[in-house]
Amino acid sequence: MFISYCQHRHSTPNPKAPALWMQDVSASYEDVADRVALKNISLSVTRGSSTALVGPNGAGKSTLFKVAANLLKNSSGKVEIFGQPLGACHQRVVYLPQRSGIDWEFPLSVLDLVTTGRYVYLGWLRSLEKKDYDKAWEALKSLSIEDLAHRQIAQLSGGQQQRVLIARALAQDADLLLLDEPLNAVDVQTRHIVQRVLNEQKAQGKTTIVATHYFKQEEGLYDNAVYLKDGEICTAS
Amino acid sequence: MHGILEPLQYVFIQRALLASVLVGVSCSFLGVYVVLRRISNIGHALTHSALPGIVIAFMCGANLFLGALIAVLFTALMIGFLSKDDKISEDTATGMMPTIMFALGVLLISASKSYRDMSSMLFGNILGVSNGDLWLIGTITVVIVLALVLCHKELQLFCVDRDYAQTIGINVEGLRLLLLILLSLSVVTGIQATGAILTNALLIVPTAAARLVVNQLIPLMITAVSMTVACCIAGVYCSYYFGFSSGASIVLCCGLCFGISWLFRAVQNRKR
Repeated sequence: MFISYCQHRHSTPNPKAPALWMQDVSASYEDVADRVALKNISLSVTRGSSTALVGPNGAGKSTLFKVAANLLKNSSGKVEIFGQPLGACHQRVVYLPQRSGIDWEFPLSVLDLVTTGRYVYLGWLRSLEKKDYDKAWEALKSLSIEDLAHRQIAQLSGGQQQRVLIARALAQDADLLLLDEPLNAVDVQTRHIVQRVLNEQKAQGKTTIVATHYFKQEEGLYDNAVYLKDGEICTAS
Repeated sequence: MHGILEPLQYVFIQRALLASVLVGVSCSFLGVYVVLRRISNIGHALTHSALPGIVIAFMCGANLFLGALIAVLFTALMIGFLSKDDKISEDTATGMMPTIMFALGVLLISASKSYRDMSSMLFGNILGVSNGDLWLIGTITVVIVLALVLCHKELQLFCVDRDYAQTIGINVEGLRLLLLILLSLSVVTGIQATGAILTNALLIVPTAAARLVVNQLIPLMITAVSMTVACCIAGVYCSYYFGFSSGASIVLCCGLCFGISWLFRAVQNRKR
């Protein structure tokens, strides 16, 4: 028996729709209502593409991801994921936040954290099965961190934390990956591994949107770029 | 051996020991989430909020336990409701509600002029547990354990990465409310053992002690539950043999447990 976490059942995506489509989307945080974090954003991200979301700190990159991940409600406009309204495709979208939002002191092993990527397929009352652990191990191996599987998350370095979060995203097997500064403040080895994994995801037909403010160093990684400044889409400068 | 078995001939001691096990399970099982989510001030808030419920129940001739339960649940729901407003943080709501509720309790006590009659609810008296209390504590414990087992993976994810939980569709506000309601229920069971003023210790101290020596979630829960049950039982024996207040004895046993864990960890760290 599958009792979904959300009120919508997992919906079948529209095969012709873009991975992410936004029309005139605005959003603001309630505690800073005077400042609109996103202003009339319209964009369409093609399936299977890799897109860089470029802008300085405070440009609205994380806010855009939060709207797309259904963490922040847009005050106006329309958002669709694979042609479905927000919330209808939870398992198809994964949002990888910057590392600060996670309690790294929690007594959990790396494998435990990566298997949380499978929860969306389990829903309430169902436990992890062998196939879920297999997926998690597969993700750990592709990030070259299988030797960390039983280590406590509190004992990880910054680069290892980033790889663990990407492994969880892979374990979820989502079709749209929203990655917030995944290459920021990581060691060279992690940077190479993450870049390889992003390329593999693209080769498998997954859509990736990566927030970055070091676009010049990463330019060759992406098919296209969307520039944000003060919450608005702007042209490259 | 005789010293351990001798008190068991008394029915009130048997009841007290059974209550100890139940209270230990309900408080420390939940205490793990309280400590790991760093919301120990909520436990403190809820225990102090029981006072007006106890006094009103006493004035009406109703079950004091039930009065405490209603007051604590009301406070939990109010904290949840008020902290939804972005201008009132959870921290502010948690600091504000118990002081208002406690002040109301003090005012009602002064109006009823019967402080002595409520001392067992304020400072705990596990030796005075009745069969009815035992049934209530037992039912609450079963509800708490069942809820925590059924929602274990979601609560774990909620504690470690709330945003991800929300992204995959988990109702995080609902989980927070569930945690508050379960916490209220466990606080009410703890009030019978250690009283409204000391119950927070049952939620926090054994888990904090276990956290010093255990690094994984399930072993942490098992250790915390074992320590709390052991401390409650030790407190009952202290109370029986030395005539100490049972609530204070239980809490001091928890404190001793923490001290031993702290020393153990300090020694381990020095060895490395």
